[in-house]
Amino acid sequence: MRHIHFLLLAAIITAGGTAARGQSPAESPRFSRHVVAVFSRLGCNSGSCHGAVQGKNGFRLSLFGARPEDDYDQIVRQASGRRVNLLDVEQSLLLLKATGRLPHGGGRRMEAGSLEYRVLRNWLAAGAVADDVGASQLVSLEVTPREQAARAVEKYELRLAAKFADGSTEDVTALASFASLDAGVATVDAVGRAQAQGVGDTALVARFRADPAVSLVVVAREGGGQLALPDPPSAIDGHILAKLRRLNLPPAELADDATFLRRARLDVTGQLPTAEEVREFLADTSPDKRERKIDQLLAEPGHAALWTLKFCDLLKATDFGVYADGLDEQHEAPRFQAWIRARLAENTPYDEFAARILTATSREGRSLEEWSAEVVALAEGYATPRKDLDLYSRRQTLDAYWQRKDAVGVPGTLQVAHAFLGLRLECAQCHRHPHDVWQQDDLLSFANFFMGVRAVGFQGENDKRYPDESQLAKGFEQEGKKLAEEVKQLKEGRGKELAEKAKQAQPEINRLKNEIQKGGEAAALSEMQQQLDSLQTTIAENDQLQREIREKDQRSKLLTDAIPKRIVHSQIMHQAGDEKSPRFAKVTSPLGTQTSQTFRLPGEREPVALGEGEDPRAKVVEWLRRPDNPFFAKAIVNRVWAHYFGRGIVNPPDDLSPHNPATHPALLDDLWREFVAGGFDLRRLHRAILCSRTYQQCSLPAAASAADRANYACFYPRRLPAEVLLDVLNQATGTRENLDMRYDHWPDGMSTVEIPYKPRNGFVTFMLEQFGRPPRNSAVQCDCARQGDASLLQVLSLANHPRVRQKVADPSGRVASLIRETEDPQQRIEQLYLSVLSRLPDQLECSACCEHLATTATPEEGLQAVLWSLLNTREFILQH
Amino acid sequence: MIGCQTFRRHSRRDFLRIGGASLCGVSLLDMLRAQSQAAGAPAAKAKSMIVCWMAGGPPHTDMFDMKPDSPTDYRGEFKPIKSKLSGLDVCELMPKLAERADKFTIIRSITTMNQPGDHSRAPMYWLTGNPRLPSGTAEYPMYGSAAAKFRPGPAELPTFAVLGKIDHHIGNSIAGSFLGPAFNPFIFDPLEKKDDIAKMLAPQLELPAFTKNAELLKALDKRLRRQDGVDPLIAGLDAYQQTAFDMLRSPKLRAALDLSEESDETVARYKDHHLSKYRYPSGDPLHFLLARRLVEAGVPIVHFSLGYWDWHGENFVAGRQQIPMFDAGLSSLLDDLDERGLLDTTIVLALGEMGRKPKCGTEKNAGRDHWDYAQFVLAAGGGFKRGCIVGATDKLGEQVTDNFYKIESFGRTLYHLLGIDPDTTVYTPSNRPIRLIAEDAPLVKEALI
Repeated sequence: MRHIHFLLLAAIITAGGTAARGQSPAESPRFSRHVVAVFSRLGCNSGSCHGAVQGKNGFRLSLFGARPEDDYDQIVRQASGRRVNLLDVEQSLLLLKATGRLPHGGGRRMEAGSLEYRVLRNWLAAGAVADDVGASQLVSLEVTPREQAARAVEKYELRLAAKFADGSTEDVTALASFASLDAGVATVDAVGRAQAQGVGDTALVARFRADPAVSLVVVAREGGGQLALPDPPSAIDGHILAKLRRLNLPPAELADDATFLRRARLDVTGQLPTAEEVREFLADTSPDKRERKIDQLLAEPGHAALWTLKFCDLLKATDFGVYADGLDEQHEAPRFQAWIRARLAENTPYDEFAARILTATSREGRSLEEWSAEVVALAEGYATPRKDLDLYSRRQTLDAYWQRKDAVGVPGTLQVAHAFLGLRLECAQCHRHPHDVWQQDDLLSFANFFMGVRAVGFQGENDKRYPDESQLAKGFEQEGKKLAEEVKQLKEGRGKELAEKAKQAQPEINRLKNEIQKGGEAAALSEMQQQLDSLQTTIAENDQLQREIREKDQRSKLLTDAIPKRIVHSQIMHQAGDEKSPRFAKVTSPLGTQTSQTFRLPGEREPVALGEGEDPRAKVVEWLRRPDNPFFAKAIVNRVWAHYFGRGIVNPPDDLSPHNPATHPALLDDLWREFVAGGFDLRRLHRAILCSRTYQQCSLPAAASAADRANYACFYPRRLPAEVLLDVLNQATGTRENLDMRYDHWPDGMSTVEIPYKPRNGFVTFMLEQFGRPPRNSAVQCDCARQGDASLLQVLSLANHPRVRQKVADPSGRVASLIRETEDPQQRIEQLYLSVLSRLPDQLECSACCEHLATTATPEEGLQAVLWSLLNTREFILQH
Repeated sequence: MIGCQTFRRHSRRDFLRIGGASLCGVSLLDMLRAQSQAAGAPAAKAKSMIVCWMAGGPPHTDMFDMKPDSPTDYRGEFKPIKSKLSGLDVCELMPKLAERADKFTIIRSITTMNQPGDHSRAPMYWLTGNPRLPSGTAEYPMYGSAAAKFRPGPAELPTFAVLGKIDHHIGNSIAGSFLGPAFNPFIFDPLEKKDDIAKMLAPQLELPAFTKNAELLKALDKRLRRQDGVDPLIAGLDAYQQTAFDMLRSPKLRAALDLSEESDETVARYKDHHLSKYRYPSGDPLHFLLARRLVEAGVPIVHFSLGYWDWHGENFVAGRQQIPMFDAGLSSLLDDLDERGLLDTTIVLALGEMGRKPKCGTEKNAGRDHWDYAQFVLAAGGGFKRGCIVGATDKLGEQVTDNFYKIESFGRTLYHLLGIDPDTTVYTPSNRPIRLIAEDAPLVKEALI
């Protein structure tokens, strides 16, 4: 059976006709087809060697052999032609260096006499001629077997067949390089010999020149008799269990109720259940209690808050501050956040959510005056409490998205591709993406859709370019100046006068109050009272006036600065291109300049036709919403999955490349198609995943499945995210952190999950950094910007940070309240376990704690030790 | 395939998942890797490195590149004195370093050439060996971060210790990198009473109570055990907790930070000329002493900022205050390291991100403005020559005239001495392979033994 693919390959080659099997390309090598392939195979043209932008040691090759013409020039003509010696080919620098006969920074790359050597040598011997690059363009690359079911340590061979533009087909196995995505499952050596290693499935990637082809391999566990699988309770479980059956891996048991409750509450709302909630849930005997709990959690504000955090990470919601644009983190980030949170709280369909971000404009079709009223109201709302947040969240569209740094043009396109399509296109800025299908032209043609969005920021000529806005802004400035004048007069005139009076009145009031208190004659008292009332009226009048002055002063400042700036420099709109803002995307890198003049969507062949003056972003949204869009729904479904399981069905979750196969492609297809058919309902998606048996499994794998990492034979433990960890730490210790952000008008009692940007509280910022809060910086498009790994400093800070210590010993914290609640040590221990680990202690734990309590001077000391210990267990820091 | 590899997929993420590193910059993976690479890596001349960062840019023509024959509006107020190294005259305010000029190398021919220059852009060029800007470029690692990744020190010590705190005025000289937070500088200041991070290095409870609690924790932390050794995250957490507790119980790091173990005479030597008040922020010369103690304890890289040297105004007032303090602190460090036999294995650097403008006028409160075209680097120990001058500037001290080297050469030289291959491939978050020092550049061989 395993020989079938060889037959197939033979058939392909025969059909191609030109290169019979057995005839080595070494005999009559062609430059762009064979020589360049040798460079790729040996790694010579990789980014860390001669493929680097500046080359290496003066010798520069195009990255992965993307431009054979340039490579030919480098080899044959550059360096005064020293690299080739046609009179004595064996003495060519090219051969001497690569074989290590002359010192070579990259070491010895090939042996004299090897196939690679013969390709280079014979090409040189035949006169080092250039060939027709077009004829050697790749039409298709086929690896066989495409999929292999292998048993552990079984060996088999990969073959790679290339079809070229001139119609010829060639077995290029000997010129390819090979790599395994998971060497624990299968390995592959330099000549394509694969070997199954351990249970699981992975992909082996064969690469010819710059192009990859993927061969899948599945290695099932041997023996163990008939696998007893539960009936799949949901469609998700059907897919997961089917794969486990294929791999012969038993799934884990269902997690117990307490574990489920903690897990679901943390994953859905970012909080721990309270002790009471745990007790209640454990006592509930109804069969549908988990489903009801899931529905309850999804409806809680914590759920919207947690996903607001996730979307704000993804959309880099704090990255403001272009030169002199009047936009900053303090004002804009909380507005951005409030808008996202409002959409999530009302469960806006995800396609609409995306559309309202991607096609955002500041005016939203309103007149300039109407919009400017909003600008004024927002500016005035920046005070305690932030009234602007509610106002902003009621906007139809999120223009703040486009007001961030690098939001438009090519850098903005990279962000759109990453956030909404799950694609990472950065590499395609300078060169063809090395492990994906994207070319520079794909990126640039997509970027053209976002070239018309006006970039925010101060430009000297904005006054001329936007005359209406400028006119309006001048009006505001004048109003502001007038107001400032009024304030000045008030301050110097009546304000000063009243203030003086009030100042004098105060001691007099005190004196009169004293006198009245002493008592006396009614008439005298009444007169004094009248005097007092009059003086107090003066004070009140003064207070009133000073407040008025402050408000006017404030308003005049906004009118003369922030408001006009915003109106002139920060209005998001679609505009036709001109010299100042070119219509077409262009990138310039050390590798050259490239531009595209078509509007083409990623993966589409045909360009999009646009009407005159039409905002091309609408076409993007139209495409996203198409039921057959290959990325949009898939990307979010995969990310939601990754939230609950710590890995995507395509993993990493932001790499939806055809060369990065899904572990469960049919599951992913089902999920995203159903998501689209169900109206892009996020909450329904969350619910489906949460209700699955797969999510509710125990984190302890069955012994036979202990090594599984990708097929969900158990629930994979992961570290709690930074913000959640801090909230949970506060919750468990019964303490709070003063974020010290009143100056920025943050409300008291904000949770860490809800913070819009880095607060002043040093402990909180330290912990956020250590536990990997992402910087939300436009320079990095990667879901990995949020770090989930463990570090010594994390462990050390939980164990020994002075602030954590204070929390454990807080006089109004957890231990203090336990001491008040009950005197029974066992009950105290139980309550502590419920509050920190969300479960009851077992017998051993209980007695260990009680024994410890018996040795300490005070119950406080003992309970603090237990609390500290529980905070430092793996159970606490991990989602499990 | 060995050497320059083709694209290695997911390497960085896999690495993170397997469990980055630590305070000490050591992950299990690193240990294994370091062990397996030990054979092939270039032999390290330098076991440690101390960087005294003179943020803002110290005046080269007032310190190690004196130009007494230049016009009055250039040469300033300070006079040169002879040093122990013939051909090297230094500022009269540095008699101690003059005495010790046979211990260090002065390099006068490495500069940023204003590409990139200024306070926000030049520091990370110097401190990473790559033209790293505050934003928009790859976040190349500082030398200490690379050391934390590629040649970590003992597990119970930080590999890359930064004394002080991120000062937002001069904050650009401390930064994390794309290697990940596990390799970030460990920033703390034992001289600062309120520094929580420094406090965290000693148990918050008395040791017996701490030990007792740790035992309770051990008794309670029994769940999720079956994943031990199988789940890398859990295995990593366990290993880190073990190391953290060992560290808290071990006196090594605490002792290193405890200056009360030094004699009054020693402390006085380091603090000689340290004033109570300065025109510009001065830094603390006791950081020299702490750096020595940390290196003695086995910390590979210690970095600190010695105040602010951006003297646009009152250059000579500031010089009279800060230069003698620097002279005393650095001299004491060089003496102590040498006396302990540590200088040959410890690189000591003193430098800032630029020089200062040789032309300063003659006004009473004259300052010196930025100068990106000439500056000095003082480099001692760890393979740098004892008593050596590399490069030269013109007669005004404005332009390099001899032996010009780019910053890349400087970075490559440091990595070379530290036994780290500057051509090591590292991966950016977008999984782009680049070399630790991206550009080729020759070593500053004249400075090396």
